[in-house]
Amino acid sequence: MSALEIRNLRKAFGGLQIIGDLDLKVPSGQRHALIGPNGAGKTTLFNIITGWQPPTSGEILIHGVPVQQGRPDLVTRGGLSRSFQKNMLLESVTVLENLRVACQALDASRHSIFRSCWSFSDVVRRAHLAAEQMHLDTVLHRNVNELSYGQKRQLEVAIALCAEPKILLMDEPAAGTSPDERASLIKLINGLSTELTILLVEHDMDVVFAICDVITVLSYGKVLATGSKEEIQSNPQVIEAYLGQHHA
Amino acid sequence: MSTDFILTRDKRVGALKRLPVPALGRAYAALFGPFAVLLCALPFFASGYVVTLAVEVMIAGVFASGINLLTGYTGLVSLGQAMFLGFGGYGIAIGTALLGWPLWVSAPVTLVLVAVIAAAIGAICTRTRGVEFLLITLAFSQMFYGAAIKLRWTNGSDGMTGIPRPDLSLLGLNADNPTAFYYYVLSVAALALLMLWRIVTSPFGSVLVGIRENERRMTSMGYAVANYKIGSFALAAVTCAVAGILQSQYTYFVNPDAMSWQMSGEGVLMVIIGGANVILGPLVGAAVFVVVKQALSMITEEYNLFFGIFFMLVVAFFRGGVLGAISKLIGKRHERA
Repeated sequence: MSALEIRNLRKAFGGLQIIGDLDLKVPSGQRHALIGPNGAGKTTLFNIITGWQPPTSGEILIHGVPVQQGRPDLVTRGGLSRSFQKNMLLESVTVLENLRVACQALDASRHSIFRSCWSFSDVVRRAHLAAEQMHLDTVLHRNVNELSYGQKRQLEVAIALCAEPKILLMDEPAAGTSPDERASLIKLINGLSTELTILLVEHDMDVVFAICDVITVLSYGKVLATGSKEEIQSNPQVIEAYLGQHHA
Repeated sequence: MSTDFILTRDKRVGALKRLPVPALGRAYAALFGPFAVLLCALPFFASGYVVTLAVEVMIAGVFASGINLLTGYTGLVSLGQAMFLGFGGYGIAIGTALLGWPLWVSAPVTLVLVAVIAAAIGAICTRTRGVEFLLITLAFSQMFYGAAIKLRWTNGSDGMTGIPRPDLSLLGLNADNPTAFYYYVLSVAALALLMLWRIVTSPFGSVLVGIRENERRMTSMGYAVANYKIGSFALAAVTCAVAGILQSQYTYFVNPDAMSWQMSGEGVLMVIIGGANVILGPLVGAAVFVVVKQALSMITEEYNLFFGIFFMLVVAFFRGGVLGAISKLIGKRHERA
């Protein structure tokens, strides 16, 4: 069974079709990239998979279970987590508090009103572990609005990982980062559990090739090609539509 | 000590909230310990007028604290919280004066009913945000205000009288005595603030702060955000209703003015003056609001004009309110140390 399966997905805004008859299967543990020029429908696809936008038609299955549209919280609880293209962080609280709140989301303590949130030591411990995993342990007590952009991108991924997902969707995790930050981020993502299925949207092809085994190229909401790095690099349609001569 | 713990640049939160927990506790204790002792001893050295003023401050402080839970912590600015102040007052009036129930029955029944009604209203209002939320809460408030004016069995715009104060005879006290009533209000206010402090420092409270910061992220983390907002709305309403009960016992009277939008607006002003998302901010704001207004009204009949100027100065020069300014000062001292 695929970790993520998309069947005949269509999405239109009025008369404008963004995604048309899209099929995609991502097996468990695969590092799968979605690439395509701006407007190809990548972020819209992410929004549909995570329940933020309803599809016009079609079906999305996470480990065989259909996604409940309109309830992104249930999608996360179902084992699919995402990081956002633009940072979506709790800006005026600390890094640790961001991670603690993220870890608390799947814990029974999240409804408690009669105990201090810091007294739930298992949640706090998991927040510390998430920080360590993404190399944020040196800035735990800093407010998010004092972090560098690269650290914020790391925190985005760390928060998504706090949900202990089986599938992780990352929307341009390296966007806006410096070459050093990018290299560090690639190393961190490649260090994640091999059981974790990753679906990555990224414009930086070096990042895509460094992380992913399989690449799907989208163009105008349709799958242009799916294959390994080598197959994609040598596909004439892809070269024409997206990559250009540099990667050919 | 690492400077990570005492950075003071964040103007929105204020340095006090950024201090490590032990230092935070010490700062609060140093700031409010003497203030708490002063409050406990006030009737022993202050005039009857000052004690009465302190009762008004504490009632207003509880009311504003309810607003702070919703506005300061959850980020939902409401102009309708006075309807729950009115519900508290009318609830206790109907229970005690109309139905003849004892206070220990009327008060819990009132608060439970307020929680249920607030959850229902909150389920509708929290589907909106920003200006829409402000306007829909105002609309609900005005609807109940209009109903209270028209309802004959609660004496319409004349309101209801004869609301009894609690029976404190077991303690050898008479609540009609200003000093005894002062201690009753002080106890209830302290309990309400303690409850609110526990709520905002709990996991539930941290979710409310997360919603204020980034609602979309909280949903994406797996939180059913709508339920938390309704919970916050109901808890804020119950706190405002507690203030309404105290207010009607203080004056032995309740009328539709308790539900007016001006009352809601004054509550929001108190939160802004004292400092939002700080637990004692609304109490400080209420103290400043009541005392400055009283002082100005003794000097001039046009006190509202001067109070408006005062409010503008606070907003312009004390971002984060009075407590926000104090927090920044403490943070700077820690940084130097």
